[in-house]
Amino acid sequence: MSTNRPQPDDARRERDRAMSEKDAAAAWSVPAYLLSGMALYGGIGWLADRWLGTSWLVLVGVLLGTALAMYVIWLRYGTR
Amino acid sequence: MSPHVLAAGEGFVPPSVGDFWQPLIGDGALAVTRSMFLIVISVVLIYGFLALVTKNMSVVPGKLQYAGEGVYGFVRNSIAIDVLGKKEFLPFLPLLLTQFTLILLNNWFGVIPFIQFPTFSRIGFAIAVTLITYVVYHAVGIRRKGVAGYFKGLMPPGIPGWIAPFVYLLELMTFFITRPLTLGMRLFANMFAGHMLLLVFILGGEYMLLHGSNLFIQASSVGAFAMGLVMTFFEILVQFLQAYVFVLLTALYIAGSLADEH
Amino acid sequence: MEGNLNVIGYGLAAIGPAIAVGLIFAAYINGTARQPESRGMLQPIAILGFALAEALALFGLVLAFIL
Repeated sequence: MSTNRPQPDDARRERDRAMSEKDAAAAWSVPAYLLSGMALYGGIGWLADRWLGTSWLVLVGVLLGTALAMYVIWLRYGTR
Repeated sequence: MSPHVLAAGEGFVPPSVGDFWQPLIGDGALAVTRSMFLIVISVVLIYGFLALVTKNMSVVPGKLQYAGEGVYGFVRNSIAIDVLGKKEFLPFLPLLLTQFTLILLNNWFGVIPFIQFPTFSRIGFAIAVTLITYVVYHAVGIRRKGVAGYFKGLMPPGIPGWIAPFVYLLELMTFFITRPLTLGMRLFANMFAGHMLLLVFILGGEYMLLHGSNLFIQASSVGAFAMGLVMTFFEILVQFLQAYVFVLLTALYIAGSLADEH
Repeated sequence: MEGNLNVIGYGLAAIGPAIAVGLIFAAYINGTARQPESRGMLQPIAILGFALAEALALFGLVLAFIL
């Protein structure tokens, strides 16, 4: 079974595991962050639209949400 | 599955969402539907399989034990140890194994002859499994770090002061709303779309063959059936992949909750 | 034929980001294959590129729903 394999470099294996975990977490989190940013701030923009009677705040909200989501992605996954 | 095709003479009625509602006993809100039966059968089958595998275990495995060890080893090594690390994976391994076998068998019910209905194409079941994951990964984080520490740990490091509340709101929404939503939706949508695709090809082919108005249409129903065959194999792969992705993401979210730093 | 023009728009809009994501990860795999030690350095760049390309696809999806 695979756990009986001799492991030459345990620290490097832990590092590889951490990096591949970060890979997988990033791949699924990026669309999730983008979608929730757009939805949340688009929703806030839509509520503001209804409150103020304008029609373009939804779009502003979606754009701001996208920008914010990309900023958060850069913070979490863009730098080592 | 083909009652609406029997109403020939009014043209082909394409399969729709209503085809997924298949009550067997009773009707309405308290009906016992086909998917309820299927999930109970799948639980009995999984329990029987695992009980048989572990009954007379020996160091040199026989065929059945080898199969059982294959499934268990896959979940344990590729998912639990790789994501959660050797020290912390053990309490969560039963949950991951259960979810994996349950989702896998129920997905594969979609292509097994005479059953041919993936239980997770009904959204209630996907919601149930997602709820379990949702509760677990929040409870684990709160138990590990306390309520205040857990909420404080949701922030990524290194943010200038004025933008922090917006980012925090975004993080909250991601953790509490978007992640379970996408998790459940991914499973449900894949199963629903796959089953719908198979329905379209096979029912369409049957209609073309039996009610086609000329020989050309009847002959080209072979193409529809061939596509149905190809999509069946593709569906087998997709169903396995969806089970794997669901359990992998559960493990990742738990690992994220347990992480000491970010 | 019933349906919604929004969804056709989204379908057309998803072609570009799909190709873009494929190209980005093809480059990442190529770079890692040539020099495995550079994997850690290339990964943030790949993630950023993926986020930017995916943003457009999700943008199309969201606009298909709200407009």
